[in-house]
Amino acid sequence: MRVWAFALRSLVRQPGRASLGVLGIAGVGALLFDMLMLSRGLVVSLQEVLDSAGFDVRVMATDVPFGGPPVTGARAAAAAIAALPEVAEVVPVAFGRARAAGPDGRVLHAGFMGVETGARRPWTLLAGDDLAAPRPGPPSLVVNRNLAEALGVSPGGAATLRADCSRGASALPPARFRVAGIVDFPFDEAAGLSAAARLEDFRHACGLDELDEAQLLLVASREGHGPAAAVRAIREARKDLHAFTNEELVARFQEVGFSYFRQISTVLSTVTLVFAFLLITVLLTVSVNQRFAEIAALRALGFSRKRVVQDVLCQSALLVGAGGALSLPLGLALSTWLDAILRAMPEIPASFRFFVFEPRALGLHLALLAVTAVLAALYPMRLVAGLPIAATLRDEAVT
Amino acid sequence: MSAAIVEARGVTKAFPMPAGPVVAVRDLSLAVPAGDYVAVCGPSGCGKSTLLHLLGCVETPTAGTLLLEGRDVSELPDAERSAIRLAKVGFVFQRFFLLPMLTAWENVELPAAEAGVSRGERRRRTGELLDYVGLAHRAHHRPSQLSGGEAQRVAVARALANRPRLLLADEPTGELDQATGRQIVALFDRVHGDGTTVVVVTHDPAIASHTPRTLFMRDGRIESEERAG
Repeated sequence: MRVWAFALRSLVRQPGRASLGVLGIAGVGALLFDMLMLSRGLVVSLQEVLDSAGFDVRVMATDVPFGGPPVTGARAAAAAIAALPEVAEVVPVAFGRARAAGPDGRVLHAGFMGVETGARRPWTLLAGDDLAAPRPGPPSLVVNRNLAEALGVSPGGAATLRADCSRGASALPPARFRVAGIVDFPFDEAAGLSAAARLEDFRHACGLDELDEAQLLLVASREGHGPAAAVRAIREARKDLHAFTNEELVARFQEVGFSYFRQISTVLSTVTLVFAFLLITVLLTVSVNQRFAEIAALRALGFSRKRVVQDVLCQSALLVGAGGALSLPLGLALSTWLDAILRAMPEIPASFRFFVFEPRALGLHLALLAVTAVLAALYPMRLVAGLPIAATLRDEAVT
Repeated sequence: MSAAIVEARGVTKAFPMPAGPVVAVRDLSLAVPAGDYVAVCGPSGCGKSTLLHLLGCVETPTAGTLLLEGRDVSELPDAERSAIRLAKVGFVFQRFFLLPMLTAWENVELPAAEAGVSRGERRRRTGELLDYVGLAHRAHHRPSQLSGGEAQRVAVARALANRPRLLLADEPTGELDQATGRQIVALFDRVHGDGTTVVVVTHDPAIASHTPRTLFMRDGRIESEERAG
């Protein structure tokens, strides 16, 4: 009988205990898997959202992502950056807030964005048309589906917004827009209301016609150069600005904003591994203790020390293997549930995921379980290796 | 009688204890020729089982020399002694120690599998051995489904799986009633008759009366020896 088959038979001789062990490891393994997915979930998710917008470089006035003062002289800065051979397109973006009245008279608070229109847009068009070049009549506006529903408008309809861009006058006159289309903004919350207009129209609505500022310059690197080359060129050309590739931006977030999740994940991963270790060690130690006489008899029959130690290690591997296999679907199901809870928190973009499956999370999960299986088997292996054959057989005969 | 299959020369076995070493076997010399059938008798604690464990390379002597088929095995490392036990020595225990999760067939087949015997040869040998001990019809029963006598017969078959030259048994009838014990004794007679050297540690006079040679131990020494005929 081969080592694995023998270990399996040894394990399932106590089916209840083996099943409980496997289920315990499955539960602990599921938590571990979730913690590993959580440790990089937001990072991966943020990277995906940033990439999905079609721009691979962000330029800001400071090195604090999205939190610092605006870029002043935005037009000139955008023009200078756009002139670089490494850069394909630059889109200045300004952020503000806006209020609108719903059909029932309720005041709606929406995010309001001004964007210099170019070939690319930091959103996805769902219905109607995109922002159009200036033409007679009200300026065009794109809204997200939530705002379109709240206002009761569809493409071609009209919307009146009262902008609030903090620096402008607090009592601005309402601005009338033509809703050109319905779009999906990647950073929208699930129930968030958002709208975007051309930068010029945005400034006008905000009463900031003379203020040449943008919170952010979205940059698309030119094909063949890549974002890293574009960032180098921008840093060289405009030392007063701070350019980041999406990867660098994500890394900054990871250092600052997401480190809590990483720390929580590390602590909980460690705790789950300790539980797995203790569970397996206890199970195997109890099993080995109950089988001392049998093991001594096997040794007397000629089974080598290595062979009986292998048996314990294989039992550990089987327990962890079965539990680990079950932990994957269990962990995925659990992560879906936990993700839904976390994403319901305010100010979390709907497209963000806290738990993101990655092959490296799976690989790390398997590696950690494998190491745990070996470590947990060490003590029972030591018991078996040091088992005195004759004394054990003698004791058994006496008792 | 042919050359000694196992020989102890001035062998002592002491166990370290907090209160000082306990000497279980004391300066004992013994030769067991191939084909011999020996019963070792004596009161509890006289060193019978320790002697058996020494002869079977389970224990190493504290002093003296132990030869198995002429080879000094007194100080061999554990792995080599395991290999010797697997290939040359069969053990039968008082409490059978069959593996409860395996069938009778699998229990008998186990040592041969461990020794790397081919699948076909194992099947042949296992079938023959179960037939030999009269349990071919119980091959697929687990130990819990066997009587004590049947379990011990399976244990004997298992001990013979690698065709050992030396069969050692420690109180093989200790857990059995008298009638069943007689069946086991008859089985040992048969094993011996078929050419295997047998050494049995026993309190059972029925076994001692069957063996052509009986050793009486006391205080770790062979006090006397009787030979039949």
